[in-house]
Amino acid sequence: MSSVPMELKDSAVTSSKWLDAHYDPVANLYTFSSCIALADLHGDGDNKLVVGDLGTGAGNTKLKVYRGIGLLSENTLLDLPTGLVSFLMDQHEPRTPAIAVASGPFIYIYKNLRPYFKFTLPFLEVNTLEQDVWSQARQDMIDTMTLKEMLESIRAKADIPLSVRSLRFLMLEPQEMETYVNLHKQQPIRRQTVITCIGTLKKNMVDEDAVSCLVVGTESQDVYILDPEAFTILSKMSLPSVPTLMDVTGQFDVEFRIIIACRNGNIYILRRDSPKPKYCIELCSHPVGLVRMGKNVVVGCAQETLQGYTQKGKKLWTAYLPAPVTTMAVLDLPTRGFQAVLVALANCEVHVYRDKNLVSTIKTPDVVSSICFGRYGREDGTLIMTTKGGGLIVKILKRTAVFDERDSAPGPPLAQSIRLNVPKKTKLYVDQTMRERENAVAMHRAFQMDLSRLRLAAARTYVKALESSLTPVSASLAEPLKMNAVVQGLGPSFKLTLNIQNTAVCRPVMNLAVSFLYDDRLYRMRTAFFKIPLLVPGLNYPIDTFVECLSEKGISDIIKVFVLREGKSVPLLTAHINMPASEGLALN
Amino acid sequence: WQMTPPLPILERRNWLIHLHYIRKDYDTCKAIIKEQLQDTQGMCEYAIYVQALILRLEGKIQQSLELFQSCSILNPTSSDNLKQVARSLFLLGKHKAAIEVYNEAARFNQKDWVKKPPMIPLCKHTHDAEEQLNMALQLNKHGMTYMMLGKIYLIQGNTEKAVEIYKIAVDFFPENTELLTTLGLLYMQLGKYQKAFEHLGNALTYDPNNYKAILAAGSMMQTHGDFDVAMNKYRVAAFTVPESPPLWTNIGMCFFGKKKYVAAISCLKRANYLSPFDWKILYNLGLVHLTMQQYASAFHFLSAAINLQPRMGELYMLLAVALTNLDDADNARRSYEQAVQLDEYVFQGLHLFYK
Repeated sequence: MSSVPMELKDSAVTSSKWLDAHYDPVANLYTFSSCIALADLHGDGDNKLVVGDLGTGAGNTKLKVYRGIGLLSENTLLDLPTGLVSFLMDQHEPRTPAIAVASGPFIYIYKNLRPYFKFTLPFLEVNTLEQDVWSQARQDMIDTMTLKEMLESIRAKADIPLSVRSLRFLMLEPQEMETYVNLHKQQPIRRQTVITCIGTLKKNMVDEDAVSCLVVGTESQDVYILDPEAFTILSKMSLPSVPTLMDVTGQFDVEFRIIIACRNGNIYILRRDSPKPKYCIELCSHPVGLVRMGKNVVVGCAQETLQGYTQKGKKLWTAYLPAPVTTMAVLDLPTRGFQAVLVALANCEVHVYRDKNLVSTIKTPDVVSSICFGRYGREDGTLIMTTKGGGLIVKILKRTAVFDERDSAPGPPLAQSIRLNVPKKTKLYVDQTMRERENAVAMHRAFQMDLSRLRLAAARTYVKALESSLTPVSASLAEPLKMNAVVQGLGPSFKLTLNIQNTAVCRPVMNLAVSFLYDDRLYRMRTAFFKIPLLVPGLNYPIDTFVECLSEKGISDIIKVFVLREGKSVPLLTAHINMPASEGLALN
Repeated sequence: WQMTPPLPILERRNWLIHLHYIRKDYDTCKAIIKEQLQDTQGMCEYAIYVQALILRLEGKIQQSLELFQSCSILNPTSSDNLKQVARSLFLLGKHKAAIEVYNEAARFNQKDWVKKPPMIPLCKHTHDAEEQLNMALQLNKHGMTYMMLGKIYLIQGNTEKAVEIYKIAVDFFPENTELLTTLGLLYMQLGKYQKAFEHLGNALTYDPNNYKAILAAGSMMQTHGDFDVAMNKYRVAAFTVPESPPLWTNIGMCFFGKKKYVAAISCLKRANYLSPFDWKILYNLGLVHLTMQQYASAFHFLSAAINLQPRMGELYMLLAVALTNLDDADNARRSYEQAVQLDEYVFQGLHLFYK
């Protein structure tokens, strides 16, 4: 096993607890933690890696078996694998485990990597009303429109949902109904469900090589426990929601617990002799990973937290994670008495937690999408990961590796030792401070004096502006006008644009005129007086006029604009336009 | 008799959609949903449901609402679909319609706490909200529900009841820093400093970066003259929230307590820059400048503070001190008089002082 690519050698320094055994970035595996398992398939003590590969997500699904760093065998699967477990189904020698692959409504059992048995989930109960309606249709007692109406009324009320046949029928266009009914009416109505998760449960012994039952969770919100030899249903339990992840402990004949995370964001705990969940843990966000550590349940939530609960649903602790969880697994080393939780995160890291304490971090070249720890080959502490990009990573835990048991929570945060960024004061500031201390009274008086002067000057200017209507907005309530002026051009000809706006809500303004006042030695205007049309409220009226500069000396002056009301000599608005110097003539 | 093609199972890939959704791998999720909807001719309820959830996350609320509505056509008895319809309606600002749909959903599933809290912002009267939350709490204890109920009591001005609720909540969730901090701050308001400090300290043990708790605990340490410890805490807060005016005010006053006046002025000026209309910062600046014997500057800060907060006797008193030092006895007297008028009891001794 020497094919370690360069990029991994760098990260090996940081995660020195692990040996990089193998990394194949193009292993082309699309799988999840529920679909990988380590098993001694041939009973020779050499554990193989079994992977249910989802292929492209639509096809090319495979059951792959790896030995060492090479692919040992490949079997084609008919549909997407949902889960995969290895389990001992009988007492026969040699004690080689079988592989169960859950896929759609079926469980395919492989022994010695050969297809051995196919289990089909029992059909779901069909609504009796629906059955009656269809049998009437079969006997041509009702037409398609009646059938449609009756099915719709069943859908709206019934506790048992309609079958796919009826649902599809209700989606059809009227002209397609006849052929559809004729095609399907002879067939019995069936409702089938699919498996969403799978696990194993020891039958009646605690030994590692004891016979195990299969436990499956279904889309119909049920949990079935199957007999390992006859594949009959030993027990059926129901849940309030669709199961997604499960963990099973105990023995079927004695006492067992099934911890199940559901699609409604709750975790339910099922026990023997109870067809309904015994305890319920309500989470604030969806559970992404679920593992059991001894007697406690550790859940990785979509809200970037890791939470610990007792098996009775009491919350113990919360740890906050730096990124969303992608998957979780248990790191169990019974020979060393060490147990921890592996949490793969979306930021390309795998964190190792003991309770709420982070004890180690592994950096990975890609986001890990499935993870599994156990015996691979003849090595007990092997970590197998597959990545989102389809890579396969194998790491071996060093025998010398020690996980610090220190409590990571207390201790001051890092920021406490960062110096405060207090703004520095200059020498000038200090000098000014000294000056103020010595001359405070004089400074204060001078300031008060200047302040009074400023106020006086401001008041004077204000009064002046009011008297000559110099404000850009008219003070008269009857004619609320707004005006601004724009001068364009380089000279000697300028274009003068007056933008006049009536700011009243609904009243138009009439009978206005504009007049200009200027030095006629410097400027000439074609029309120095004109009438303004009726001003509709809110609209902007641009009024253009042309000014010619007569001076050749580059002098500029002010042109005064008056907005007048007919019959009144006091202007409504006055504007002083600072004319620019004429550059055109200056060049000549 | 014809060969009948088998009908596919609609829920075949629901687990895969869910798996990608909770991993927040939305692109892959959308691709699978698209395929699934093609295979089932748009009849897979769960695929539509998740698509709607993703659309809502992307801010396309109207589209998500339409999809949730089509979900509830496919499965009219699901209260979950109705809940999501209501949530989308709520986000669109159609509050009345949202309440109606929530109530309808509640008819299908009486024992669902999730429906209660979202209705709170919709309830017109805090009384209704209180009732709903109490019902939700009976169904299930959730930190968020307690938080909301406490807030409602505070809006009603019922501090005692709010404290009660937060106390119960803290018993249930001893590690919830938000609850601990809120309770600590409430105790502080009520003047129970010992208890306040206890809870704030607890909050800081679980989350040493909690900005609110740092500020509150730090200010209490400052009152006891523990400036160095308070500064240590503030350093953490300054790292997480570097632009907080109250934080820089407190840091400034720490420096003031340690007689480092220039640093104090620097920090207070930064606080003033970040929040120019906060009279407390101006008050502190006035105080520090008085101490520095910069009476002209002190006058400006104090008069600015008075303009923002004209009903505080102490401000006039400080202003009077500044004016006395600026040789303006007349205005100083007026200022003292104003101070006495505003707060006669406290300043009874003052007459003696300046006569």
